[in-house]
Amino acid sequence: MPSLTVPPGAPPILQSLTVPPGAPPILQSLAVTLERMLVRILVLLYLAGAPALAQTLCQPNASNGYRVRISIKTALGNQAYEWNENEMFLFRATMAFAMRRYYKTETYNVDNIIVCNQTRRVSFWFVVISPENPTMLIPKADVEKAVSMSRHRINNAFLLTDRTLEFLGIYPTLAEPVNPDTPPWLIVFGVVIGAVFAGIIALLVSSLLQKRRKEKGMMEDGQDEEDRQMKGVENGINLDGIYNRGFTDDDRFTKL
Amino acid sequence: MCLTHTWDNPMQFVLACVSYAVGLGNVWRFPYLCQMHGGGGFLIPYMLMLVLLGVPLFYMELAIGQKMRLGSIGAWRAISPYLGGVGMASVVTSMYLCLYYNVINAWSFWYLFHSFQSVLPWAECPVNSNLTGPVEECERATPTQYFFYRETLDISGSIEENGGIHMGQALCLLLAWIIVYLFIVKGVKSTGKVVYFTATFPYLVLIIYLIRGVTLHGAINGVKYMFTPKMEQLAKPTTWINAATQIFFSLGLGFGSLIAFASYNQYNNNFEKQAIVVSMVNSSTSIFASIVTFSIYGFKATFNYESCLERVRLLLLNTFDLAEDTISLENVNHWIAELNRTHPEQFASLGGRLETCDLEAELDTAVEGTGLAFIVYSEAIKNMPVSQLWSVLYFIMLLLLGMGSMLGNVIAVITPLSDLKFISVLSYLVGLVCLFCLLLGLGFTTRSGNYWFTMFNDYGATFSLLFIVLIEVITVCYIYGIKRFEKDVEDMLGHRLNWYWKIMLAGVSPILLIALFIFYIVNYIQGGTPTYQAWNKELGKSVVTEYPPYAQAFIGLLLASSVCCIPLTALYTYCKKRNLASGKRERTVSTVSA
Repeated sequence: MPSLTVPPGAPPILQSLTVPPGAPPILQSLAVTLERMLVRILVLLYLAGAPALAQTLCQPNASNGYRVRISIKTALGNQAYEWNENEMFLFRATMAFAMRRYYKTETYNVDNIIVCNQTRRVSFWFVVISPENPTMLIPKADVEKAVSMSRHRINNAFLLTDRTLEFLGIYPTLAEPVNPDTPPWLIVFGVVIGAVFAGIIALLVSSLLQKRRKEKGMMEDGQDEEDRQMKGVENGINLDGIYNRGFTDDDRFTKL
Repeated sequence: MCLTHTWDNPMQFVLACVSYAVGLGNVWRFPYLCQMHGGGGFLIPYMLMLVLLGVPLFYMELAIGQKMRLGSIGAWRAISPYLGGVGMASVVTSMYLCLYYNVINAWSFWYLFHSFQSVLPWAECPVNSNLTGPVEECERATPTQYFFYRETLDISGSIEENGGIHMGQALCLLLAWIIVYLFIVKGVKSTGKVVYFTATFPYLVLIIYLIRGVTLHGAINGVKYMFTPKMEQLAKPTTWINAATQIFFSLGLGFGSLIAFASYNQYNNNFEKQAIVVSMVNSSTSIFASIVTFSIYGFKATFNYESCLERVRLLLLNTFDLAEDTISLENVNHWIAELNRTHPEQFASLGGRLETCDLEAELDTAVEGTGLAFIVYSEAIKNMPVSQLWSVLYFIMLLLLGMGSMLGNVIAVITPLSDLKFISVLSYLVGLVCLFCLLLGLGFTTRSGNYWFTMFNDYGATFSLLFIVLIEVITVCYIYGIKRFEKDVEDMLGHRLNWYWKIMLAGVSPILLIALFIFYIVNYIQGGTPTYQAWNKELGKSVVTEYPPYAQAFIGLLLASSVCCIPLTALYTYCKKRNLASGKRERTVSTVSA
């Protein structure tokens, strides 16, 4: 005999369906069938409403959701692939991977990543549901940290870069600037100034050698040098003359 | 000068003059003027001023140098004892030029050394300390501007804010002065050999750049823009004034360098032909360099225009969520109109973010001077393939042009000083002058140094030169006498002065110079307080600021110090002669009485 007692947690409509004990048997069986139908309808509604409930969790401008924008053709040009459901599946799997990596658990699955509002641009919104409680969303900050941690892996899964796979609101951490010990310009400067100093030393050495050669030459014909210098200066004006070596002063003719 | 101090052959003299005259002004000032004053049409006043003003004055200076065989002080004293001050003024102006001009070479060295990196440092903004994005100042300005103003100069906000010396700049300045010293230490013997290189190599680089430039994408836009003449510009007097001043300063008249160079010539050297040759070479180099500059301009403008279109395209795609391949660079403008029509509210929400991309506007941004060379050009170079190679070539060319001009400047100072026989050994004199200029030049490497540099650049040589050359022409033609000048020239060359030279020197050039002189004074007075461009860190761009009073006083000092030499020396000579004359009279009286 079906129990005519209504379970305590049942919705009020079921409770109002209780038939008074003295009712005829037809009424009683009717009540039971109605009860069963209602329960089934409610279960069906619940099952149907679950994804709808999940869908309401993912909305554009959701407080815990992020917008993703993908520019495949800009990144890959001729080798661009088509964005389809399989790629979307890969995205959700990658996001689940990122969440697993961040929380260091193995509970996240593809179903925990919900995607909505896909456009032709290839942009969409996504939210992450907690695996324990399907109605609870993972807060924005945690999602951001998870994405930043695995950004490189996510980019590589799609052959994209930080610029072509954009998570609007999550700024990519830029590469650490390479700081060499000696700035490269100083190296080139050192080379050039070394060459210049070598030139100065060469100049000094060559002028020293020249001076020594001149000194040697002066000792040999010192007399002629003195004559030339004396004859060159007259009235303070330098005469541009060349000493005529053909001139000899030692003729033996008597002076008249 | 002793007979031993001459050029080895006349070719060295011509190359020295070419190396001196063809300098940075040909590369960065002439293209700017061309663009400002109507492209191809500017060539008309330019050529006219060359014929009326440039060549005759050039000829006159060479004649004086070759005849007197002394530097500027001695030469002008020989021409007219009262006007020895003209030479003194030339030396003072050349000294100012020496002080600040080598700083440009220091910058060229700095950029050259920084070109040896896998990524040119002015191609990208450096990352800030949080690693979240580029440095703010760099973000607001462009990476090339940031590199020039922050990393090269470490410029302060105004001329009043001083700072320490930028060590990198100081090192580069030291290097530049050591190299100048090496080039001049043995007098014309060493200079004569150096000018073979400094005069010819820049042409090689210019040809390479011409080939690279015209093959760049979008270069033809720039060249077309330059050569389409805008004849209405010819009606404005500023066009003619600028043409005259450009010829004037490009040939380097009035600094005493030409007199110094010519003083090392053989007495019978045919300077007439050489004067014409050098002037023509100088002007054709200007035109040639401006073709190169404009093809690179066109490339840069086209690149910026296409980047702008790309940004607009992305903006439209992202705002209206269209598939990526619906909008391409060609139909961006078509789509703007279309989307405005179909989705007006959404389009209006774009607001200020939608840029208007205009190729003409990009080409119109005329920049001159150090801005062109170090900011615009390096921006164009960073976008070329194998940019390190082009960067190295370009800055080597700038260095050679700058060094060639420095040679002339320093020789203009050294030659009169060695005539005065203060220090007999030439290498010591050269070393002393270089050391002095280096120490004072370190002031331009401080944080506010660039503002002082601009002040020297704008005021140090412009006005005083006009005055000096005006006095020179009047002296030679009217005080010395055109007849005596004619006889001297006949003595040197063997034939008389042509009617062309006589008319130009005695008539046309003085009139033009007086007109230029009056225009400058009027312009200066009308211009109000002198201003300068100060780099504002927060805005990321240059702001027009007035000079503080002490800076204005310094400008006045700069102008007065060189110009005053002329009347002061005249007065001094007059007093000395009067004392001498009265002294002689006294002595004669006393002997008679005794």
